Amino acid sequence: MATLQSTAPPDADRTPDRLVVRRKRTVAQRFRHDWPLLLLALPVVAHLAVFHYWPTAWNIIAFMDYSPYRPFWENPFVGFAWFERLFADPYFTPALLNTLKFAALNLVFMFPLSIVLALAMNGIISIKARSAFQSIVYLPHFFSWVLVVTVFVQVLGSDGLISNWIMGGGGERLNFTSNPDTFLLLVWMQWAWKDAGWGMIIFLAALASINPSLYEAAASDGANRWRRMWHITLPGIRPVIILLLILQIGSILSVGFEQYQLQRQSIGYQSTEVLDTFVYYQSIIGNQGESFGTAAGLFKGVIGLILILVANNIAHRLGEQGIYQKS
Amino acid sequence: MPVPSSTAPFKRRSLFKVAGLGVAGAAGLPALAACSDIESGSGSVQATEGFDFLPTYQEWPLPVEPDLVGEPPNHPSAFISYPEPVQAVSEVPSGSGTYEMTVPIWGDTPAGDDPYYTTVTDAWGGTTINLRHADGNTFADTSVQWLKANEYGDAIQIFSWMLGSHSNFTETVVNNFYNLTDILKGDIAERWPLLAGLPTSSWGQSVWSKDLKDPDSAGVYGIPMGFSGGPGNAVMFRTDLMEGANLAVPTTVEELLEVCRAWSDDANGKWAFAGLDWFVGQWFSLGGTDGWNWDPDQKKMIHNVERPEFTEMMEFRRTLWDEQLIHPDAPTGTLDPHAMQKAGNVLFTQDSMVWWNDYALQVKRGEAEGEINPLPPLGAKGREPLISMNTSIDGWTFLNKDLGREQVEEILDVANWCASPYGTTEYELLQYGVEGEHFTLGNDGSPVYTELGSELVLAPINYKVVVGQVQTFLTGDPDVVQKRFDFHAAAQQYAAENPFAGMRIEAPADAKAAGQTLWDQQNDIAYGRAELSSIPEMVETYMNNGGEAAREYYTEAYESVHGE
Repeated sequence: MATLQSTAPPDADRTPDRLVVRRKRTVAQRFRHDWPLLLLALPVVAHLAVFHYWPTAWNIIAFMDYSPYRPFWENPFVGFAWFERLFADPYFTPALLNTLKFAALNLVFMFPLSIVLALAMNGIISIKARSAFQSIVYLPHFFSWVLVVTVFVQVLGSDGLISNWIMGGGGERLNFTSNPDTFLLLVWMQWAWKDAGWGMIIFLAALASINPSLYEAAASDGANRWRRMWHITLPGIRPVIILLLILQIGSILSVGFEQYQLQRQSIGYQSTEVLDTFVYYQSIIGNQGESFGTAAGLFKGVIGLILILVANNIAHRLGEQGIYQKS
Repeated sequence: MPVPSSTAPFKRRSLFKVAGLGVAGAAGLPALAACSDIESGSGSVQATEGFDFLPTYQEWPLPVEPDLVGEPPNHPSAFISYPEPVQAVSEVPSGSGTYEMTVPIWGDTPAGDDPYYTTVTDAWGGTTINLRHADGNTFADTSVQWLKANEYGDAIQIFSWMLGSHSNFTETVVNNFYNLTDILKGDIAERWPLLAGLPTSSWGQSVWSKDLKDPDSAGVYGIPMGFSGGPGNAVMFRTDLMEGANLAVPTTVEELLEVCRAWSDDANGKWAFAGLDWFVGQWFSLGGTDGWNWDPDQKKMIHNVERPEFTEMMEFRRTLWDEQLIHPDAPTGTLDPHAMQKAGNVLFTQDSMVWWNDYALQVKRGEAEGEINPLPPLGAKGREPLISMNTSIDGWTFLNKDLGREQVEEILDVANWCASPYGTTEYELLQYGVEGEHFTLGNDGSPVYTELGSELVLAPINYKVVVGQVQTFLTGDPDVVQKRFDFHAAAQQYAAENPFAGMRIEAPADAKAAGQTLWDQQNDIAYGRAELSSIPEMVETYMNNGGEAAREYYTEAYESVHGE
């Protein structure tokens, strides 16, 4: 079995010929030296400031009885009143539980599916077949949810292709796209069709970074396909898997919006209500206002942050890199 | 409580016919907000009559008398022949301003370079009003954000039914829109004779107050759209298909159910309905404002869901579903009932009366076959039918508060021109376009839209509802007009009394949010996703999460007018 070579730079252990004393540079000197880099970073910083940090600062209205029509400082602080209202809402807990249910489904059945697809794709040798497979599995990602839901209704709906085919044969009308009992399966099928191929791309990039000589060496040592995958492929993409898993856990309360909103009428709110639709229907349609919606959004953000930190910490404890290198 | 505002409230003397309303509107607030410090979204009750600052009504004599004289607004007069149009505005004021107005549109956005626009612009004096078309299906919800961001141009058209999407619309109005009171107060007949001829009630319904407790803070903030009444909606059926199946027109809900059973054939793609939800309540005597009615026996405000008739209605809806009398994809809300009715797949549609005339026109153009008519008023279990009359204005054109007084006056010049009624050249140009381009005169002398006219003038809202006409008539296909006139006459006996006449009520946010869930739960039962036995639990949940607070709120509003 081949072993991994050290990846340290070749001159890391070289003793310097003479001691170099570097004087600390002034800010002006550093600016003169680094201004092209700063210039390059400027658009990104501006983007972050305008579209991320500034809106984040507005989370403060979750603690106010906010009205856009009065000067900001005249909006009264109401403490955690909006959060109290949020948690006291009888429809909040069901929406939270639905969200966790869909998140768990995604984590357990969708996340590994992308890895499996990437491994399958990696095993295809024919370039034509590989290209066709790649297009088929990831193009649906570019379809809107409206289109995805429409296709499912047209094919699997009560008055859809398969239902009419079954009825033509004397069978019962299919009740799949409006059945709350099978909605979980329907959601998984829609995810699998739309997003599994897209999720595969990052894993494919990670697979491409594995040194092919490792496979050659393993093969010459007699390792079969399964052993090569277990001992080379999976360890090779493990850091990426861990990274994406942590990010996925961080966004566990954000399972999407359109997919559920579009099917709410046909499936019913009890099975489709997730936190994002809850906020929309209670805050926008139900007229609870901006502060209520912000409180719900902040709740999601804080839970997500906590989950990311916990998952990252666990990853570090298990010797993984996580989302950043521990110093 | 004063409405949040960045400007000081103005003072104005006014006479409230319902003087208690201002106090009632604010009195509900402490009770609703007592559980926390949150005061926004507490609802509002606004008087809409009894003001002394409205434009003084001065009748604008009609140039042509209608063929059928009714009793407006609930029984409008009608034209069954097209009169020779007469010019209404003899001296058109000259205008040079350019403005932008946001309007909803259902369907494709028409090209903006058609001669229709330039001809209309020249006719009303040269003021250019460019239209920003926005999707009508989402207009109500998205307009909330445009208004808060002050991104709607110089004017915006909002229909009355859209107010439900706005939390605290009073706050939006008094902070966003131009207060027209100083310009329109008193005698305006000299400059705007047609606006002076609008019903006083139209202007009264365009009043909002900065401070609900202070009657002096009320003002006119909108230009009213058409004032109409009578049944605006109905369930329309294909007369030819029903006759072909040897089915009689039902006169009760029980008979209707039998017709549905006789007509429907799920396996062969035939259903009685493509959808039935918002209309069905009145067959079971469920009316009221936001579902609330005063029960004189219990001396209490009662919500529809608390009444036994509600359970009957849900049983009816559930039967339609269980027996496959309604399209299986009805729960999706994505079906096209008009297309299905034209194709003969469904027998009934719950609809606006507008569909009646549209269908007749399509038949004349060869685009549809047969005939549709409305079901007569129906009642269940031997009860009298009930009809909501919807006696109100359709909506408002609001002007941006950032406009100058002269600019507002210029737009009012345009509005005055647009208020010209049926039988005037102004109305003809605005509603039908240019003869030869957008319409031609048919054999009976009435305008018939060309294809271009249908797309560009008939379908879009454009300038046609900037303001209502001095009087609204039933017009269109002569046969349909005659039948509709008779239908209105027959419906008067079943008119439901509006316990909240003379006021505009915006429900508390809690009640609106609970109402949204209540609606979802009703659909769960109607489409077999929940059992009828869950109704008591559903009602209890609603009452505990906004319903009881709303009861208190509507009770105070009711008692402020009718006494305890």
